[in-house]
Amino acid sequence: MRRFFRHRPAAFQPGSIAFRLIVAVLAVELASSILVVGLSFGYERHAHFHAFDVLLHGHVDSILGAVQDADDTEKNVMLVQADLHLPHDDIYEVYDSNGRLLGRSPNWQGIPPNTPAPSQSPYMELTVNGHPYRVLRFQGSRIIDVAEPGGGKLRQFTILYGAPTFHVWRAIRGAVEFYAVGSLLLLLITGPLIAWLLHRGLLPLRQLASLASQVSVDSWQFSPPASAHLTPELAPLTLAIENVLQRLEQSFTQQKTFVSDAAHELKTAVAVIKSTLQLLGMKRRTVAEYQAGLERCLADSHRLEEIVAKMLTLAREENAAAAAGPRPASDLTECLDSAVAQLETFAALRGVKVEVAIAFSGVSLVPLTREDCSLLLSNLILNALQHSPAKTLVEIRLAQRGENAELRIQDHGDGIDPAALPHVFDRFYRGDPARSRNTGGSGLGLAICKAIVEKAGGSIDLVSQPDPNLPHQGTTVTVHLPLAREAEACQPQPVLPSA
Amino acid sequence: MRVLLVEDEVRLADNLAAALRDGPGFAVDWAEDGQVGDDCACNRCYDLIILDLMLPKLDGLSVLKRLRGRHDVTPVLILTAKDGADSIIQLLNAGADDYLAKPFDLGELIARAKALIRRGKGAAHPTLSVGSVEVNTLEQTVRRAGVLVELSPTEYHILEYLMHRPRVIVSKRELLEHLYDYNWEHHSNVIEAHVSNLRKKLDGALPEPAPVIETMRGRGYRLALELQSDLEPDLEQSQ
Repeated sequence: MRRFFRHRPAAFQPGSIAFRLIVAVLAVELASSILVVGLSFGYERHAHFHAFDVLLHGHVDSILGAVQDADDTEKNVMLVQADLHLPHDDIYEVYDSNGRLLGRSPNWQGIPPNTPAPSQSPYMELTVNGHPYRVLRFQGSRIIDVAEPGGGKLRQFTILYGAPTFHVWRAIRGAVEFYAVGSLLLLLITGPLIAWLLHRGLLPLRQLASLASQVSVDSWQFSPPASAHLTPELAPLTLAIENVLQRLEQSFTQQKTFVSDAAHELKTAVAVIKSTLQLLGMKRRTVAEYQAGLERCLADSHRLEEIVAKMLTLAREENAAAAAGPRPASDLTECLDSAVAQLETFAALRGVKVEVAIAFSGVSLVPLTREDCSLLLSNLILNALQHSPAKTLVEIRLAQRGENAELRIQDHGDGIDPAALPHVFDRFYRGDPARSRNTGGSGLGLAICKAIVEKAGGSIDLVSQPDPNLPHQGTTVTVHLPLAREAEACQPQPVLPSA
Repeated sequence: MRVLLVEDEVRLADNLAAALRDGPGFAVDWAEDGQVGDDCACNRCYDLIILDLMLPKLDGLSVLKRLRGRHDVTPVLILTAKDGADSIIQLLNAGADDYLAKPFDLGELIARAKALIRRGKGAAHPTLSVGSVEVNTLEQTVRRAGVLVELSPTEYHILEYLMHRPRVIVSKRELLEHLYDYNWEHHSNVIEAHVSNLRKKLDGALPEPAPVIETMRGRGYRLALELQSDLEPDLEQSQ
């Protein structure tokens, strides 16, 4: 593509639009010049032969004028050839009404006997002495001896007069040749002219391409000239490029942010482990101190491991969004029951009571795999438990809302700062480090939940109104998931014992 | 010396504080977010501020800008997990004195912390000498006219602090502020006892000693005037 625009002549290589356009235009031109040549041939032939025929008639008239009274007893007529001044190539014959030959040109033996009978047309084509002739058969009458008493007699004659046609043909050919050569010259001139005009005309397209080719991962700047938006042919292309670039940039920025956030998290986690080890090595310590240090290192490594695992989960959930294949289905009620059962011990340890209320009439199948569904529920419940002070209640409500399943999980913790609320689903975001770090949060839990819910075509919202006057107002997470229709829902996946 | 550590990662902060206390024997205050860090820094009792960049509530850069906006010249060491020259340039231009990229070496952190404190007090070399007293801040050893003097950690820290500020009267309150962290019970008679012991030990090293530390009644302490003529030029200039 770059080469295409860099080398000028290459713009007209076979297969390019410009090349095809030029070929098409030249073909049309060629066809029209052939037509012009054909038409001019027809017209020239008609015009020349018309003039030729007029000439034949003129000669016939002069022959008629040369017919004289023969001054013999039988009142015969004769042709006075001495009076005739006719082109020496021409041929003629004159017969009277009785069929008697009155005269004939010296260079002719008359109509060959095998000549077909004269048709309606007064003209016929003959070959005389090897040359093509056009012959006019003329039935004429003339009053001979006007001076005689009674005003003379009306006599009938038949005159055949022919002249060679090769002069005419030569003239026609000359005219046609003129047109043909003219057309050809025009063709030769217009070819490069069209190429040049096309090259000029396609300039905005090349400019657009060169602008687009300057876009790279580091520089997303694409500012097409205003004319690109106003040109009907370029506008859709320009718009498409702009949209694609915008989406790409967005996704790149997202990825970059994720990578940088992930790097920050991992570096911090590694810094913790490294500093613990170095602190341990700073001086001689007792066995108990070493043991405590090792335990801390182990705990830190465990956290690092958890961050990596969650990052991978998040990457999987976000990338699987467009995956094809059969729609998964799992029973939300069942997943909820097992998730609650799983976290029972944790809740008891923290002294938090969990209350589950399920108001569901039909089967609560949602388009999620069982793993995702369990992960979503346990993440949300764990979150609520972690943010619940002792002796408070976590309420879980599952209900049907039209086509959707609605899950509400409410805790009675301190709630979330309104300033932090818009960011709670951001990756690696921690509303309050003192709280989430101490409870082992990685800042990825809610991001994973959001990815899972969005993959299933649902929505997740978080409402929190911390009010100093109303302590333990808490946070409510609401998840809406589309319910799979009964007919569409295949066998729910078998319940696996949770790990 | 007293250090303010502003770091939101609890485990890392624990380790850093422990290392700074165990190693060079600094008093360490820990702030877990930018807001608390900024409030602490307002006390102006720190010899060094170690500042993480990504902090909740108020990020490290903002803390730094506020600090320098108050014309606070306390040395600042930035901890960052961000790569890239741009952010480092931005930090240094905003008034940071040094930075360390995570994950860092604890030894390097301590060395840089010491260097920054030293520089902040106008000394270029880790060995400080005023008159016949020589303090090696790396080994934390003290010599009086070449004779090694054994000191307790607190006695050493008092002497080191005074060595950084020769000729200047240092109040008991200042000594308390710079030698003990926030969690310590503040009693000025603790200082008096330590200074008394320090004096005895320093003078015990010589057969006919001249007093090293003068007590300015009701005002504080200073290194004895007889040492004035022997002061190193750079120390003089710094005051």
